Amino acid sequence: MTATEHPPAYKYVGTRPIRHDGYDKVIGKARFAADLNLPGQLHGAIHRSPHAHAKILSIDTSAAEAMPGVKVVVTGDDFPALDPKNPNFDLAANIIARGVAYYHGHAIAAVAANTKPEAQAAAAAIKVEYELLPAVLSIDESMADGAPLVNETNHTKFVPPGEPSNLSTITNLDRGDVDDALAAADVVIEREFDCAHVHQGYIEPHACVVDTGPDGKTSVWCSSQGHFRVRSMTADVLGWDKSRVKVTPAEIGGGFGGKTTVYLEPLAARLSEKAGKPVKMVMSREEVLRATGPAPEAKMKIKIGATNDGELTAIDGWMAYGVGAFGDMAGLIGAMSVASYKFPNLRMETYTALTNTPKSAAYRAPSAPHAAFAIESVVDEVALELGMDPIELRLKNAAVEGDLTAMGMPHPRVGLVECLEALKASDHYNSEVPEGAARGVAVGFWFNIGEESSATVNLNEDGTATVLTGSPDIGGSRASMALMAAERLGIDVYSITPVVADTEAVGFTDVTEGSRATFATGKAVVQACDMIIDELKKRAASIMSVDVDQVAWVDGAAVSAGHGGGEGGEPLTLAAITAQAKRTGGPLTATASLNAAGAGPSFAVHCADISVDEETGVVSVLRYTAVQDAGTAIHPSYVEGQFQGGSVQGIGWALNEEYIYNADGVMDNASFLDYRIPVASDLPLIETIIVEVPNPAHPYGVRGVGETGIVPPMATIANAINAATGVRMTSLPMSPPKLLSALNKRSK
Amino acid sequence: MPTVHLMTHHRPFTGGEAIVEVDGATVGAVIDALEERYPGLGEMIRAGSSAGIDGEVHAEPEYVPVSPDTVIYFLAPLAGG
Repeated sequence: MTATEHPPAYKYVGTRPIRHDGYDKVIGKARFAADLNLPGQLHGAIHRSPHAHAKILSIDTSAAEAMPGVKVVVTGDDFPALDPKNPNFDLAANIIARGVAYYHGHAIAAVAANTKPEAQAAAAAIKVEYELLPAVLSIDESMADGAPLVNETNHTKFVPPGEPSNLSTITNLDRGDVDDALAAADVVIEREFDCAHVHQGYIEPHACVVDTGPDGKTSVWCSSQGHFRVRSMTADVLGWDKSRVKVTPAEIGGGFGGKTTVYLEPLAARLSEKAGKPVKMVMSREEVLRATGPAPEAKMKIKIGATNDGELTAIDGWMAYGVGAFGDMAGLIGAMSVASYKFPNLRMETYTALTNTPKSAAYRAPSAPHAAFAIESVVDEVALELGMDPIELRLKNAAVEGDLTAMGMPHPRVGLVECLEALKASDHYNSEVPEGAARGVAVGFWFNIGEESSATVNLNEDGTATVLTGSPDIGGSRASMALMAAERLGIDVYSITPVVADTEAVGFTDVTEGSRATFATGKAVVQACDMIIDELKKRAASIMSVDVDQVAWVDGAAVSAGHGGGEGGEPLTLAAITAQAKRTGGPLTATASLNAAGAGPSFAVHCADISVDEETGVVSVLRYTAVQDAGTAIHPSYVEGQFQGGSVQGIGWALNEEYIYNADGVMDNASFLDYRIPVASDLPLIETIIVEVPNPAHPYGVRGVGETGIVPPMATIANAINAATGVRMTSLPMSPPKLLSALNKRSK
Repeated sequence: MPTVHLMTHHRPFTGGEAIVEVDGATVGAVIDALEERYPGLGEMIRAGSSAGIDGEVHAEPEYVPVSPDTVIYFLAPLAGG
């Protein structure tokens, strides 16, 4: 359902047409990266480190090179040493090791051969001599005095230059006087939390086909969240000019942040260059789990003070995020995501720590779910201590326009209060909690971002339009772009063909992250439509023999006095104008590019009814509702899909998902059999309520919806478990063994 | 003069001041003025920053015009997943 106070009168925006790419996807015609094959292509495979931390003394590729079908082998020596100031320095070292293997699974060498089995056999035959180095496998080990260095090239950011360190960032955010406020508080609750590494769990493994021609020009077909970023990262790692690389986006089978970076493309490009043939590389699920970026692990201490009447007066936080073997800013971003409540006094001490585990990657609202799990759990405890309804406590303290975020900047117009009110009025919240079950609620926040986008609108002779953008369609953005163009131009949404164009066919567009595509690329589409409407009015004025300032664009047609705008004559439809394009000045096309400012922050409130099997520790989710402020839902079905997807991933994070490392830093559960993500039979239908508090910085009010939905579920479930059992779970995942152990301790 | 709000890790350069006023017609000019007054601060801000300018977050805001009434919050770079 949608909760909109004053719905604007849009004709297309807010409707639910069948997605333009739906037919191809339903019948299996859509082409994903692993579906692509080029004549004469080779197949690539990677030799990976068997150690969590080791110096590479020698690599002997001779036996591999002599094996049947093998065409070429590359190692770190085949790639340039980047300047440490290059923003892709760490990326390059992650793609292929240069002298040191920083984690189990780190790529050491790559092979291209006629067949995949031949490439895999040759990769296995590569002989590497290692000198083992001490492996640092946890945040505690990383931050301990005298800890071995995880990565000798890492230096701490935001502090004066110093020696190499295991800390990537040390940052503090503060306002007010936290100590005084806590001392004066009527209620103070303090808890410690931890979260394991989790993976985005996209169904489609990383895959690419790369063809480097004799002229050096390289064509890449791959699955990613942003093909312009694939271009720049691939070129940087190879030491090439970006213009050497053309990237054509394949369809994407899930990304969730994990495909905002590259792993295979530079390897395939170098193999292809050396072999003189196209090279295809496809990861196995095991490789995805061992060698691509999970979300960070984290440890947190949160102390919150409140008055007896429920005013939250202070928060004192300590947060450390473990991000793998390369630098990141997860700790700072986690602290910056503390934005849901007014908190006049705030102190967040944060660290980003390196460990000898895979390099972390973004995962929906990166760093915010960890922080929200901790803070929303403590807020729940405050409500319990005060005997207040958890929604009422949150309403009393909810951030509104002008309230400060942890990073110091005041909120623009935001919709947290509206989300809380919508849940409070919902059927779910007003229903009886089922017998034997319990209910939990929690809040989530994410910034959303703008960044650069481009769009081209081409009008065809028959009055249809083609809309080209550079944003891969991850969650229904083709349909959203078409809806916004239809609304602006005034033509049917199926008269518009939305195209995700390659890096040489559309202007630069940043990666699809930060819930930015419908906001920023949508803004570019609307601007391009406005430009082409101006041109349509000029053409119409010429046909009508009137001044252009006498022409208006109304419902897909030009009107003027005597032409639908007064006595006599018909309006000139878009199709009537495009049919005369040649006579009035030629093809009608417009391109808009922008760096979008004013991304609208988004809040969500979730509610879960769960039951706990106290004999097994298994939690069953009986009913789940996700409420979120979308600003404006361009295509409500895909907005709801984002809410549901984020909720399901968050429930998996809450209850089951975790990287389990052994003492040698080897992941013990590198398959979907042992790394348990929720499946449809595990969960009820996720109910959704779309709240629409329009973002004034977007022509239709879009905020972006892709990430916030994953922020509240962990605390929502933890709060429900506490209500069901009286046990406060502070460690993710709240898996059956952990919950059973906690229940047994409670019993004693 | 534009008002500049600094994050905690910027404040060692300003002797702890969280809010300062410096002149400039663009965000870049403001950063130059900060660097001149507090050597090293401008460099840190430019190393990776977005900024909230009169309520809207801008990425790489070097050439965004500002007026004497403008309020700028220098933030860490924001990304997402």
